[in-house]
Amino acid sequence: MEEQPGLSDQYRTASPWPLLVAVGFALSEVGVFLDIFPIAVGGILLLGGSVAGILGESGYTRRPWRTLAFLGVGFAVLGGALVATQLPGSSVGLLEIVGDPNGIVGRGLAVVVGGTMLVVAGAVSQAVGRTQGV
Amino acid sequence: MASGQLVLTVLMGVFLVGVAAFLSRVEDWRSYTPLASGGGGGYGEAGAHVHREKPAGITRWLTTVDHKDIGILYGTYGVIAFAVGGLMAFLIRLQLVAPTGAVVGNEFYNAILTSHGITMLFLFGTPIIAAFSNYFIPLLIGADDMAFPRINAIAFWLLPPGALLIWAGFFLPGMSGAQTAWTMYTPLSVEQTNVGVDLMLLGLHLTGVSATMGAINFIATIFTERDDDVTWANLDIFSWTILTQSALILFAFPLLGSAIVMLLLDRNLATTFYAVGEGGGPMLWQHLFWFFGHPEVYILVLPPMGLVSYILPRFSGRKLFGFKFVVYSTLAIGVLSFGVWAHHMFTTGIDPRLRASFMAVSLAIAIPSAVKTFNWITTMWNGKVRLTTPMLFCIGFISNFILGGVTGVFLASVPVDQVLHDTYYVVGHFHYIVMGAIGFAIFAGVYFWFPIFTGRMYQRTLGKWHFWLSMIGTNVTFFAMLFLGYLGMPRRYATYDFNSAIAPLDMVTLMHQAASAGAILLLIGQLIFVWNILQSWLEAPKLEDADPWDLKETDQHGREFQWHERRTATALADGGEEEEAVTDGGEVVDDDADDTSDD
Repeated sequence: MEEQPGLSDQYRTASPWPLLVAVGFALSEVGVFLDIFPIAVGGILLLGGSVAGILGESGYTRRPWRTLAFLGVGFAVLGGALVATQLPGSSVGLLEIVGDPNGIVGRGLAVVVGGTMLVVAGAVSQAVGRTQGV
Repeated sequence: MASGQLVLTVLMGVFLVGVAAFLSRVEDWRSYTPLASGGGGGYGEAGAHVHREKPAGITRWLTTVDHKDIGILYGTYGVIAFAVGGLMAFLIRLQLVAPTGAVVGNEFYNAILTSHGITMLFLFGTPIIAAFSNYFIPLLIGADDMAFPRINAIAFWLLPPGALLIWAGFFLPGMSGAQTAWTMYTPLSVEQTNVGVDLMLLGLHLTGVSATMGAINFIATIFTERDDDVTWANLDIFSWTILTQSALILFAFPLLGSAIVMLLLDRNLATTFYAVGEGGGPMLWQHLFWFFGHPEVYILVLPPMGLVSYILPRFSGRKLFGFKFVVYSTLAIGVLSFGVWAHHMFTTGIDPRLRASFMAVSLAIAIPSAVKTFNWITTMWNGKVRLTTPMLFCIGFISNFILGGVTGVFLASVPVDQVLHDTYYVVGHFHYIVMGAIGFAIFAGVYFWFPIFTGRMYQRTLGKWHFWLSMIGTNVTFFAMLFLGYLGMPRRYATYDFNSAIAPLDMVTLMHQAASAGAILLLIGQLIFVWNILQSWLEAPKLEDADPWDLKETDQHGREFQWHERRTATALADGGEEEEAVTDGGEVVDDDADDTSDD
């Protein structure tokens, strides 16, 4: 055991992300399951953002903004798949069902919207960062 | 409805902006570039060692990934949950003083009964054990921290939202607390339209995710982070029990999570997993729930057994008798615990051959449990027993565990269970275990390690008061319940105003009143506990002796107290270990302290 009590300042023991990951997870779970659109979208934004943040902070990914966009794609695909389960086989009923969503479609759309916002945020920030040379 | 959505959207937006503001204050994203994380980058703030380890004030607690801080967070959370669950229990006992119900309505009674069980098992039991394991496992195995410190923090922070959701039915408008009982049996739990039930299920799901993350972390930590001189042969008994518990969590909690998600889908999206007829029916839920539920009992009891096995020898002046067999019995209980679940279902009409086999395995668990019990007793036999408060709680644990265990053996027997099932006998039996044993071991741990947590000593007289009030209170309350079970009193009832021609109503009432009197003793004892802990933490003089239990005399100075001694020795004179940076050179580190094998 190598601790040197009172001076273990060799490594950082603080990170803002775990709290946000947990709250994001809780909010998105509640929002999606109970079909509360604003909470679902906000929760997914927070979850995606904080997961990208924590992965970047701990060195698992090199570019947090790109990770954010990838996570967004994942959410969007997941939500899209949920919506797709409710589409009638051949006819193009997408607009109808989006206009008057049932329980499953409403939930799927929330996930799609959250995911898309993550993608946009990731792409825009990446572009802005590049122009600023960061 | 639309305005409600608008308000929620605005609130959510404000919240997210607040989060972003908080982040931009405390965090510097640019330090995440690979250059900077390499430590040699061109950014001035990149080198972590320039900063102090922990930020000040509330930010420290919100952002910590240090296992000791997270342990303290778990502990604080567990004590708050214990207070909430305890007050609910007290209200239950108050209600049952009179046959017609003394204080609350039947529905509210059902809600607090449900919430008491879930609070104590999921919000107090599992987290308070995690408090000890987070703080001490890395110290006991010589690790710098947990294997995944950030996941450790995520696991903790899932718990407060979980608790809020579980209790949400009580305080959100338009809802009421779930009235499903902690077992959430279908079809009852599917039919209750109250949104409070959904929120409780979601909260429960979060606590399950939290426990699973914690378990993975402990398994990884104990397997990969041990110091070179900590081998499987000399791994301490508490780490063994945490390792076994984590394995149980890994197999049990994901199953609970899946079962809960299926229940939520049945409730909200018209699936038919548990529907009678086209679905699996009520029996499916019972099988899934108890396949989780019975290992959960051992998830809760194995680490406290580890605490007792760890602490008891230190006040007996002897090493733990039959150490190896205590470890083997832990592993045996861990394996057997997955083969007994249907003993909760003996009266559901399942195949008698199945019942017999589950009875056999359930009875078999008595063997490793008895191995442990006899090993604790023989550890004390002819030992130099010191009746300190932690030791008293350890002995109380053994006494209560025997009562809870033996009544469990009776319940494992099919013919006895058919008479006593769903009576107060069952309630008395498992409360002897969860309060009389698990609770007592937790108290033993708190008192034993209080000097390490706080650098101070608790007030010994108050500790003794706490013990005796808890011991007497536990036995009065829960022995009365065993007796109530023999009288045929069904569990869960909000009132018991039976026809006295079919039940000895006077005797039942008297026993309920006895149980409530015991609850008063328990309440006073726990108030003393909280007062003692808080006041001693804040006001007791700093402890200068790094070996307050004189463990060196019997060669039982464990790694955690050796760490404590080094910390005490190297702390600055003003006691502020984090007040200013100290250079690395010139510190005297006690090399001898590292080479003792523990236990």
